[in-house]
Amino acid sequence: MRKSLLTVFAALTVLSLILSACGTPATEVPEPTEAPATEAPEPTEPPAATEAPATEPPAEEQFVFGMLLVGPYNDHGWSQAHYEAGLYVEEKLGAKMIYLDKVNPADRPGTTPDQLAEELVSQGAKLVIFNSDDMKDASTTFAKAHPEINVIMASGDQVWPDGKAYEAIPNMVNIMGRMEYGKMMAGCAAALSTKTGQIGYLGPLINDETRRLAASAYLGAKYCWTEYAGKDAADLKFKVTWIGFWFNIPGFTSDPTQVANDFINTGYDVIISGIDTTEGLTEAKKASEAGKEVFAVPYDFIGSCEEGASVCLGVPYFNWGPAYLETITAAKEGTFESNFQWNGPDWSDINNLETTAVGFVKGDALSPEASAQMDEFIAALAGGLNLWTGPINLQDGTAYLADGEVGTDQQIWYLPQLLEGMEGQSVPQ
Amino acid sequence: MTKNSRWVNVGFQIAALVLALLFTSLILLAAGAPPLEAYKNIVTGAFGSFKKFSDVLVSWVPLLLVSAGLLVTFATGLWNIGVEGQITLGAIATTWALRELQDTGLSPSLILFLAILAGMAGGAVWALLAGALKTFGGVNEIFGGLGLNFVATALTIYLIFGPWKRPGVASMSGTEPFDEALHLSLFPELRLSPWALVIAILAIVFVYFLLQGTYFGLRLKAVGKNFRAAYLLGVPTWQYMMLSFLICGALAGIAGAMQVTAVYYRLIPSISSGYGYLGLMVAMLVNYQAIWAAPVALFFAALNIGSIQLPIVLKLDSSLSGVLQGMLVLFVLIVEGVRQRIARRS
Amino acid sequence: MKVELRGIHKYFGNNHANNDITLNIPAGTIQGILGENGAGKSTLMKILSGFIHADKGEILLDGKAVFIQSPATAIHHGVGMLHQDPLDFPPMRVIDNFMIGHSGGLFPNRASVTRDFKLIAEQYGFSLDPDAYVDSLTVGERQQLEIIRLLWLGARVLILDEPTTGISASQKEKLFATLRTLAEQGKTIIFVSHKLEDVEVLCHQVAVLRQGSLVGEAKKPFDTKKLVEMMFGKEISLGARQTLERHGSVLSLQNVSIEDVRLKIKDVSLEVSGGEVIGLAGMEGSGQGAFLRACAGIVRPVSGHVKVRGRDLTGKSYHVYKRNGVEFLPAARLEEGLVPGLSLTEHYVLAEKSKDVFINHERGLKQAQEKIAAFNIKGTPVHTIESLSGGNQQRALLSLLRDPLSAVLIEHPTRGLDIESVIYIWGKLKERCRKGTAIMFISSDLEEILQYSDRVLVFFSGRVSQPLDASTTTVEQLGQLIGGKGWAS
Repeated sequence: MRKSLLTVFAALTVLSLILSACGTPATEVPEPTEAPATEAPEPTEPPAATEAPATEPPAEEQFVFGMLLVGPYNDHGWSQAHYEAGLYVEEKLGAKMIYLDKVNPADRPGTTPDQLAEELVSQGAKLVIFNSDDMKDASTTFAKAHPEINVIMASGDQVWPDGKAYEAIPNMVNIMGRMEYGKMMAGCAAALSTKTGQIGYLGPLINDETRRLAASAYLGAKYCWTEYAGKDAADLKFKVTWIGFWFNIPGFTSDPTQVANDFINTGYDVIISGIDTTEGLTEAKKASEAGKEVFAVPYDFIGSCEEGASVCLGVPYFNWGPAYLETITAAKEGTFESNFQWNGPDWSDINNLETTAVGFVKGDALSPEASAQMDEFIAALAGGLNLWTGPINLQDGTAYLADGEVGTDQQIWYLPQLLEGMEGQSVPQ
Repeated sequence: MTKNSRWVNVGFQIAALVLALLFTSLILLAAGAPPLEAYKNIVTGAFGSFKKFSDVLVSWVPLLLVSAGLLVTFATGLWNIGVEGQITLGAIATTWALRELQDTGLSPSLILFLAILAGMAGGAVWALLAGALKTFGGVNEIFGGLGLNFVATALTIYLIFGPWKRPGVASMSGTEPFDEALHLSLFPELRLSPWALVIAILAIVFVYFLLQGTYFGLRLKAVGKNFRAAYLLGVPTWQYMMLSFLICGALAGIAGAMQVTAVYYRLIPSISSGYGYLGLMVAMLVNYQAIWAAPVALFFAALNIGSIQLPIVLKLDSSLSGVLQGMLVLFVLIVEGVRQRIARRS
Repeated sequence: MKVELRGIHKYFGNNHANNDITLNIPAGTIQGILGENGAGKSTLMKILSGFIHADKGEILLDGKAVFIQSPATAIHHGVGMLHQDPLDFPPMRVIDNFMIGHSGGLFPNRASVTRDFKLIAEQYGFSLDPDAYVDSLTVGERQQLEIIRLLWLGARVLILDEPTTGISASQKEKLFATLRTLAEQGKTIIFVSHKLEDVEVLCHQVAVLRQGSLVGEAKKPFDTKKLVEMMFGKEISLGARQTLERHGSVLSLQNVSIEDVRLKIKDVSLEVSGGEVIGLAGMEGSGQGAFLRACAGIVRPVSGHVKVRGRDLTGKSYHVYKRNGVEFLPAARLEEGLVPGLSLTEHYVLAEKSKDVFINHERGLKQAQEKIAAFNIKGTPVHTIESLSGGNQQRALLSLLRDPLSAVLIEHPTRGLDIESVIYIWGKLKERCRKGTAIMFISSDLEEILQYSDRVLVFFSGRVSQPLDASTTTVEQLGQLIGGKGWAS
């Protein structure tokens, strides 16, 4: 009896593991145009890097950089944006990228990001990119333990001299895009498209970054709602629901599919996504196929409208490529210096992938009228319009920026609460 | 058992290993990856450098602790699936103790000691709950344990998002890391804590002697093999079952404490890292013999760490190591069945 | 069908379980296979029915050599075997159990199978309800079910291994009648037993096995003395009844009432003295089991008092009784009494009362060797308990009793054992009586009860007789009471 129970248990375990192991490669959709080189390793061409780490580092002239991605490299979101930037650097610099995706405690139990970074180093990486706020502590640990390896901590603020958590780490660079602008555009597109006046914001976890991005989306929405649609700010409902992480981890986070549906079923007809994956978009598409008029604004990755073009109002995206190229070039040439970058859009053309750090592509679902107003809005931003100008009150009513006061980088980066007029948790209870 | 048949047994075990490798290779081929290359990467990934080997030991510590505990419950005939939750509760209790004590001015080593004790207690309490459900509620320990695992996960998430959240942050990524003074000291340049290593080795030695040489262990085995006969032979059966749960829970709790004090330095949602389920596999594989637990757990830990290389180099999913581990258990069980059948025939 | 076995050899390790056995059984014969436990009877029958394979030798059915690969092949050739413990699947209905093993496709026709079942049952006078649950059947009824099933599957040779163990006298009569009918119809019956009496009554011819070899054959009418000699190599008798000196009251029951789901026992009072043996007789499930367990604290009486040497232990657990010198030995040796997987030595260590932490292996081994010698157990200290034969398991069970004891309560002390073991075990028990231990035991063997008891309690569906003096009671009187006759209403 017990033996057979054992056998069944073991068989089930194996089966589930096989499914999980085979599942990933099977569902991997190779990027249609990009990413030709790194896909599907040919058994016949063992890359230099697969050699035992103890031996010589790979080909002298080729610079190897590593990347730790918090989610799957093909998530149509945050991680894919980084991955694509890596491919961009590979192409421009002739460097080689090695990466490890799904670096989070649920997918890689028993490991820490600093340990995984060392695995990349053992494969020859001279620079390691940590792509998530979640790895901030680990990136510090790693950078301090490996002064000879350069580190890019994306979205971090450790080496920002004006930041709250400043530490001098000579081999680290912080890079972040000023997504505040992208989110303002997202908010604007949502405000110009909503029929019910209810916008739902699918938030990830709560921290400084996510608060300021949600707030920026609200500022953009409020601006376009009042300025272009000519409606009363009080009639705009803007609700943030947090799922608890950057993407869905069953059992650990709220299910974003569920949250998106809750929005749709309670009259929210535009879903702005703040998470790394595209549930907001796909659920909106399903609802619209079922006859509801619902729109969505995804996030992070330039190509993420694809999964629901018919309901996509556009996408604010990160373009990490130029900044990574610059920093990795510096690392390769030995001129790497610690700095903090918060890079804005190239206002001459926010979609110029050679120059901009943040961009916005309009989606098919955006009406021509709204599209024209969006252009107007973007032009205004480029012309110096700053929505982070007072009066701005925090959610609890306390004044944050006095009338006419322009928010400093610190005030924006470390926004302590959501803003007055927004619904949803500001800080964890 | 004669010497001869012992060697025959070893032969069977090797056959199981070979079969498991063959099958895993087939899966690899089906996934379009070169098996030898994959195995080579696992080996170099686990033993390629001293530091990597030390990482294997980092993973070995909790696995060995959990396996040691499970040997005790298995000896008592109990399927302590709830061990995952017991690790988690150990981690929660440790985190709690550290949080409560970190500002008291006690010496850090005393705080750490108390925190690990708290972890033991936490795991033990959780195990006793499963035991009480079985003994007094008639709930099979498998179902009770699974339920308690869910509760433990929910509790962790509640704590991380709620009372123990990082200031201004609500993220699944964990609680505020503890001050460096409250980390178990590590070997220089490594992630391995000598304390953790010593504790794990002590644990398996303890369990070995407990099961091999003590009246207590023999009584546990009697309860496991024949509950009613053990009772009639004078063993207080349900008390021994509870004690068995208690020991396993305490060891799992230490594993959780090690995760907090020597690996993550904070509470994270998946703090148990699946070591409980992996430990069940180890315990099955060693056929409940404590002496084999250390090498087999080491082998599993090496697979875990070595397989990290797979996605980097071969773009394979690292759960391949899980496949290999599962295959191994499956084939060992199958081969054992075949061996017994042959033994019965002749 | 004619069955011939030629030169059958079977080894289990170094043990030569069957040594060159040759047997001819003509069709329509009831062939007895006699021998004490471990003589090789079961091995031979397992070979014939395909459970195990002979190392050498051949089997001929109706003159044709066959290879019996498995029980399925056996039944295909018309050979079916009933086991000591009928292999059934208790939580099923009779009819479902009946259909198992039948290759009737995925969806057997239940209605037609039920019809067949009733037909066969009627033919042999079995009254089995096809919709009853198997676990509600008595051992005898399960046997009937097995017989019907084997006949339905086309068996022409029926092997019965110790079929009279655990069934009532009337069921035994019915079984024998059935077997005779079957033999008259030309079926071959192989009847394996160590009970001389049964074999003598039923069989046409007998083969006697001893230590793996065929030591002799005989045809009806049999010479009992000669059979015994063949079985044991010497003549054995149960010996004279003996009554031993009394040592004062050790176990006292006052108005004890017991209830379980099936029956109620009311207001039993009994004084048992040291050195006395009390036999509990009755059909299985008449209340004697619950009564015996109540005397050990395993079953809790609903009212009344149980005192051990004057100490009121009512409501206390078995372990308290144990501490007060009362021990209970169950009939289901491997299920309740012993721990399969543990060695003899481990059993002795386990039964030891020790406050030490670490086991002294040397002491344990020494103790095991002493017990093995004292109880004449065929086995070594490292043998696991389940690898011993039934008789040796029973000896081992007895050897685990502590010394001294106030009372030993035993269910079926000698069930399934050969006569030599029976005599040996009772010798050991009487030794304890001499030292002042009281013994209370259950047996379905009335002769055993009258032979060894001082007083007898008869149970009939929860009713308990007054203690009868065994020396003045006859088997017939007991049989009547057990069957429900002669009770004051």
